[in-house]
Amino acid sequence: MSKEIAHWLDNLLEEIEGIKVRRKSSRRVRVDVPADALPALLELLQGRAGYIHLSAISCVDWIEEEEFELVYHVWSYESHSLVSAHIRIARDPGVYLSVYDLYQPAAFFERDIHEMYGIHFEGSPNMEKFILTEWNGPPPMRKEFDSEAYINEHLSWQNYNPEWLQELIAEGGGIIIPPEEQRFSQKKK
Amino acid sequence: MSSIKQIPVIEEKRTNPLARVFDELVRFCRSRSLFLLHYCTGCGAIELPPAMTSRFDMERLGIQPMVSPRQADILLITGYVSIKTLKRVILTYEQMGSPKYVIGICSCTVNGGMYWQSYATAKKLDEYMPVDLYIAGCMPRPEAVIEGLQQLMQRIKTGEAKGWEDYYRNYDYYLGNQQKLFGNDWQTPTDVITEAKHYDLLGEGTLGEHTALLEQHQQPLEALEMRLGHQVKEPAE
Repeated sequence: MSKEIAHWLDNLLEEIEGIKVRRKSSRRVRVDVPADALPALLELLQGRAGYIHLSAISCVDWIEEEEFELVYHVWSYESHSLVSAHIRIARDPGVYLSVYDLYQPAAFFERDIHEMYGIHFEGSPNMEKFILTEWNGPPPMRKEFDSEAYINEHLSWQNYNPEWLQELIAEGGGIIIPPEEQRFSQKKK
Repeated sequence: MSSIKQIPVIEEKRTNPLARVFDELVRFCRSRSLFLLHYCTGCGAIELPPAMTSRFDMERLGIQPMVSPRQADILLITGYVSIKTLKRVILTYEQMGSPKYVIGICSCTVNGGMYWQSYATAKKLDEYMPVDLYIAGCMPRPEAVIEGLQQLMQRIKTGEAKGWEDYYRNYDYYLGNQQKLFGNDWQTPTDVITEAKHYDLLGEGTLGEHTALLEQHQQPLEALEMRLGHQVKEPAE
């Protein structure tokens, strides 16, 4: 039964132009589509294949390619399979269409992504702050946001160098990589 | 202050020869009946149920969980404190009646722990409120928690646990750090300076530039608006 559905799904997906389907396993399909074909794809999946559950929208910041990758995970209770639809949008201005009219839970995910990455979703019901209500900085999950520089400016650490550690160092032991060198800003240099 | 050992011990002048005996009795009683408010901000909270219940049983030490800050003696902060949470922690701390003690559990309260690089968590808890005792570890086992609580009892008994007095005496320092993190318009509903006067703990560090800034920005408190139900925002057409 599930094999039939899978076969039928593959045929269905071929209806969309510019689509790349990769079957990861019997229950997982990865689909890469152009950004403008995504609403059509989701509508097909929801209306004709029973993918009624949008489990998440995830976002990846590809700063070197100047693109955001949005991944829409939709689940079908009938065929027990997950379709992950990947799209790429330009990093600047970072605007995309909301899929709120198809999947209402999208409002929640889009608001979260807007807050963390600064992507604006047109037609989403609420683009106000969600978790970071007391945050005035830039969207913190963007790759250009330097978390370490931010905390160096606003917060402070205390150095920890107790006697027992000094004794260990005197004997030739101790910490192999000191915390200062663990920090990412130091690693780059 | 940065280290609890740096806090100067100020000797009280007592005229009654029996006063010291009485003080000792009070301190003994105080250390034997502690109500604990556990502010479970992080993962360390998971070690508290075993510490409280039959296996390790904190109640045999006279320590009991308490539900409201007004009635609590110990504020137990278990794990990382995000900047949003820190505001609430400070509000809770200021609401507690003196004498009050703060215990920071887990590495995160000491130095940020595994969240050292996070923009959202505060690193050193003792910059924002005086911490009497740290129990380090990621996370400390219930044995360590019990050990720490026993140590706190000992410190209360000998009169060493005076972090709360430090908050009044050096309020300007703590307020300065809070303002640095939350912005200049930061204020709490508690009037700490008046409380310091009430406890006769107005020190050299109580008033300063930061408290002056607070007075500038301070807005009179208003009662919260009472509303039944909750407002549902209509989705935009």
